[in-house]
Formats: sequence, C-alpha cells, structure tokens
Amino acid sequence: MDILLLSVIVLGGLGFIFAALLALAADYFRAAEDPRIVKILAILPGTNCGACGVAGCRAFAEKLAAAAGDVLVSGCVSGGVTVVQKLAELMGVAQPTDAHKKIAAVHCWAKVDQRQALARYSGVMTCQSANLVAGGGLMCRYGCLGYADCVLVCPFDAIKMEQGLPVVDPDRCTSCALCVAACPRQIIDIIPFTKRVIVACSSRDSGAVTRKNCPVGCIACKICEKEVPEIFKVIDNLARINYNKPGESGTECEVAINKCPTKCIVKL
Amino acid sequence: MELFGIFFSALLINNILLIRFLALCSFFGVSTKIDTAVGMSFAVVFVMTISSAVSWIIYHFILSPFHLEFLRTASFILTIAALVQLEELYLRKMIPALYRAMGIYLPLITTNCAILAVAFLAIDYRFGFLSAMVYSLGVSIGYSLAIVLFAYVRERLALAPIPKWFQGYPIAFITAALMSLAFLGFTGMFGL
Repeated sequence: MDILLLSVIVLGGLGFIFAALLALAADYFRAAEDPRIVKILAILPGTNCGACGVAGCRAFAEKLAAAAGDVLVSGCVSGGVTVVQKLAELMGVAQPTDAHKKIAAVHCWAKVDQRQALARYSGVMTCQSANLVAGGGLMCRYGCLGYADCVLVCPFDAIKMEQGLPVVDPDRCTSCALCVAACPRQIIDIIPFTKRVIVACSSRDSGAVTRKNCPVGCIACKICEKEVPEIFKVIDNLARINYNKPGESGTECEVAINKCPTKCIVKL
Repeated sequence: MELFGIFFSALLINNILLIRFLALCSFFGVSTKIDTAVGMSFAVVFVMTISSAVSWIIYHFILSPFHLEFLRTASFILTIAALVQLEELYLRKMIPALYRAMGIYLPLITTNCAILAVAFLAIDYRFGFLSAMVYSLGVSIGYSLAIVLFAYVRERLALAPIPKWFQGYPIAFITAALMSLAFLGFTGMFGL
C-alpha cells in the first residue's frame, strides 16, 4: 500500500482512538465539581492577571467555592466593585464595606522635556535596564524614566505614554498592580479613586535639589500641609496624602492644589 | 544483573538532568522549593514510566509492522499528550489526594522533553519491554534524585550571603554545573 496513505491511516487512527478514549474517560471519570465554580468563572473578568494571589481566574474560582468568605469575595482586585458585588450576591455573603474603586497612580508628572539629563542612556530601552545603569541618566533619582515598562505589562491597555509619561485611564484601570511591580523606580502605586487627587512627584531629595532638577517636583515647602493639615503631610521631603480621611471627590483639597507652587499636587 | 546495570546506568551514570542535560527548564523552574521539586518528581516518575510503556507498545506493534518508524516523533507526542490527559482525568476521580499533590505539574510535563527522550532512547537502545520499563524507571528516579538534591541546595542558597550579581539564576547555574561535574564521577561505576 502507498506509504503516504498508510501513515495517514495509522496516525489518524491513533488520533481517533485517543480522542475516543479521552471522550469516554471524560464522561466516565467525571469528577463531581462544585457547580458554583462555573458561575463564579462567568462573573470573573477572565484576564488571569494574578492580582488575587492565585494562578488565574479558574484557581480563584475554585478557592472561592471551597471556602466561601467575604474576604475572598473581595479578592478579585481587577474585577472592581461590580464583580465583588456579583460574587457576594452569588455566594450569599454580606457586601464588603470597603469596596470602592481603586486605580494605579503615577507619582511623577515631569514630561520628557522637563527632565534634566545627567547622561545619555543608549542601552536596552526598558526602565528596568536603564535604572540599573547609574539610575537611568536623569538628574532626578526618583522620577519616571519613560521607557514604558508599565505600558507593556498592563493587560488592560489602561496606560498610554504621553510626552514620555505614562497616563492611566481610570475607566480601564482595574488596580491589578502589575505596573506597580514593573516600575523599577516605584513611582506607581494603587490609590482609592475617591479623592481624585495625587501628589505627582516621588522625589525625596531636599527642596533645593528638587527645584534644580525639575520644574514640577515637590520641594517640600509644606504649604499644602498648612492649608489642609488633616489630609496632607510632608514626610522625607515629599508631600503625602492620607486617603483614609473621609471626604469625596477631593473638594477639600482644592486649596492645596491651587496653592502648590510647583503644581505637583494634581487632580486626576 | 543486566536489568540492574540498565537501572543504575540510567539513574546515575547517564543521569538525564546532570549528564544528558535534558529537561533543564523544569530543573531550574521548579527547584526553588523542595515541595515543588518532590511534586514534580512524583509526576515525572508516574508519567515517564507509563508513557514509555505505551509508546514502546505503539512502536513495536503498530509502527514497526507497517514500516512507519519515521512517524515515531508525531505518534509519541500524540501518545504522551493523550496519556497525560487520561491520567489526569483518572487521578482526579480516583485518587484526588495524589491529584492535588501533583497539581499543575502533571499537565506541565506533557511538554517535558525528557519524557519524549526516554521513549526514543528505549527504542534506540533496542530494549525489550521489561528492560524499557526498568530503564524509564531508572531515568525518572534519576531525575527525581537530581532535582530534589538541587532543590535542597537552592533552599540553602536562598539564605546564603551571595554577591548581588550572582543571586538567583547565576548561582543556580554554577551549582548545577558543579553537581554535573560531581555526577561525572559515577562514570565507570559497576564496570559500565
């Protein structure tokens, strides 16, 4: 018989036998599975981002079905408030009270032409590599390097580069924190999206040094702290915002935003 | 005596990881903790033995009679993939404890080159069925031995004061090289 035909028959036959075996086995060995797993899986975003701490949405669904607790219900970070609500409803547990939208915030708003160069970097064009070589060639040791590691790592297309600076789209950001881990300068963190105000600088250099390096850096003048002492506090030459203080949409921060001399307190 | 020789030659003298340098991705990937190394070892022993048995049968009773030896790569890959799926289904239903213990490693070794290599080598060496079984058992236990030893070393290395530039994979590669050198010392053992 023709060798070509024979090999097709043999390999096809093998494949068919295995397929039939698997189909039979799948039916015969069907393990009893919690029917809620499928329902949970349908609610989850399905991005397998891993922000919940287990490997993928399927693993999270199994974990949740096995140990129904309201802590786990809010475990899906990237799903946001709606997913947590649906999960709580499905599992019959109380709605977690601290469920509000969080987003990633970039704590450096120095555009590419505002950064002072220390040297010209011409290595591998990632922030990770640039940061290894004498801190990436910028005068500011804390600021954004602009090689877009965070953009590449974002599974939701929520970060765009504009004038060398990552800009987070609040509608798309799910606060999965992959960008937080990707940034070698640690200028991205996850903040509650209630106040809509951030300090757009990470420089812990003294005011004089920061002023020399960057026109939009925090110079630790403490004006914000004087104006709104319950929310702003300058620690290590950098203004910090206490997001735990009550208050919606950041109206109480207006004074500080307007008075900040370098305009590094910004509204999102 | 011959089976004894096959077993120890596969286990030590031709150790699949440290002498033949196969399956190195899992050697570095899952050896950071002893638990994961042991889990992977169990899965490899299990899958390697069964898959080489089935592929031996397929080669000698299906491919050989039709003179289709050249199809062995394709058919072995097919066999191993289907077999691992079957084993997974079976374990999930029948022995859930073992299934949980092996966890992700069982589907992972579908694509492990050592599994395919053993199926090939058992045929290239012209082993009979029993010898092929003993051989694949020896190889898989050799794999377990090497990866568990390596995991012990890496757990110690994680706490050792290693220069920053050698931390992580660099020191792991150096360690693996030294272990490989040590395993070369088994050459000539048992007069093999």
